[in-house]
Amino acid sequence: MTVFISGGCKNGKSFLAQSAALRLSGGRNLYYVATMIPSDGEDRARIARHRADRAGLGFRTLELGRDVSRCLALAAPGATFLVDSVTALLLNEMFPGEQYAAPDPDAPRRCVDGLLRIAAEAGNAVFVSDYIYSDAARYDAFTENYRRDLASVDRALASACDTVLELCSGRATVHKGVWDI
Amino acid sequence: MDLIIGGAYQGKRRYAQTHFGIPEESVFTCREDGRIDWSAPCIAGLEEFAFSCVKTGRDPVAIFRSHRENWSRSVLICGDISSGVVPLGAENRAWREASGRLSAYLAGEADTVTRMFCGLAQKLK
Repeated sequence: MTVFISGGCKNGKSFLAQSAALRLSGGRNLYYVATMIPSDGEDRARIARHRADRAGLGFRTLELGRDVSRCLALAAPGATFLVDSVTALLLNEMFPGEQYAAPDPDAPRRCVDGLLRIAAEAGNAVFVSDYIYSDAARYDAFTENYRRDLASVDRALASACDTVLELCSGRATVHKGVWDI
Repeated sequence: MDLIIGGAYQGKRRYAQTHFGIPEESVFTCREDGRIDWSAPCIAGLEEFAFSCVKTGRDPVAIFRSHRENWSRSVLICGDISSGVVPLGAENRAWREASGRLSAYLAGEADTVTRMFCGLAQKLK
C-alpha cells in the first residue's frame, strides 16, 4: 500500500506517517528514509528530536538526501519505507553539488522518477510533504519556482498513491482511497 | 455557478477542463489591471482581481454582486491565500481579507464548491 500525507506544519504528519508505516510493515523490514541534509545546529536538533520520537519502533534509518530510490537496493525485497520529506528532497535535488549556483531545472523530474519508483516497487511506502500553497505573500522568483515544483511533485505522488491524506491538528481528511489504520 | 478554490498549483484549472469541459483558451485570467471579461465561461485568478480592487479602493464583492447575471452559469476559480502568517504589509492584509470575503460570498451563491488538494477534488458543496 502507498500513502501520501500532506498538510500544514506541526499538524502531526510525521507522527501519523510513523504509525502508518509501522502498521503496514507489521514491525518488520521497516525503513525511515531521511531526506534532510543538516546544515546547522537547528537542523541537527530537529533530526535528534525525530530520531527520539521513533526510537524503539523498529525503523532502520537511511539518510538519502538525493537519488532517493537507492533505498530499494539498500533494503530487502518487500520492505516498507517512510520517506520524510518530499520538501527536503526537492531542495537537495535543486542543488546537486557545490558547483551549482542556480537551481537545477531537472530536479522535479528526478524527484518524481525516484519517488514513483519507490511507490511502484516497495512493499509499502508512506510519503510526507508540506502544504505551502495558501498564504497571502508575493515571493521572489526562486521561492515561487520552488513552490510550483514541489506542487508538481506532490500532484504526481497524490496521483500515484493508493491513499492521500491531509493532516490538520492530527486529524486526517481522506482525499483519496481508504484509511482505516 | 461552479466555484473551484484551492492553494497555488493544486490543479484548479485542470479540474475546470476535465470536469466542466472548459478549454484552456476559454479561461479568462484576472491580472493587475482589474479587468474582467464577463462573457468568458470560466474566470480564473479571482484572488488577483481582489488584489487589483484593493489597489484601486474598490469592493470586489459589490462588483460581483452587481454582475450577478453575467456569472450565474460560469465556472469561477479563486486561489486560497487564507492560511499563512498575517502579512506584514497593510496592502497584503487587505488583499487577504478582500479575497477571503469574495470567496466566501461566491461559495454562498455557488451551486457547487470544489476545493483542489494536490490535484484531487474535494466537494465542499
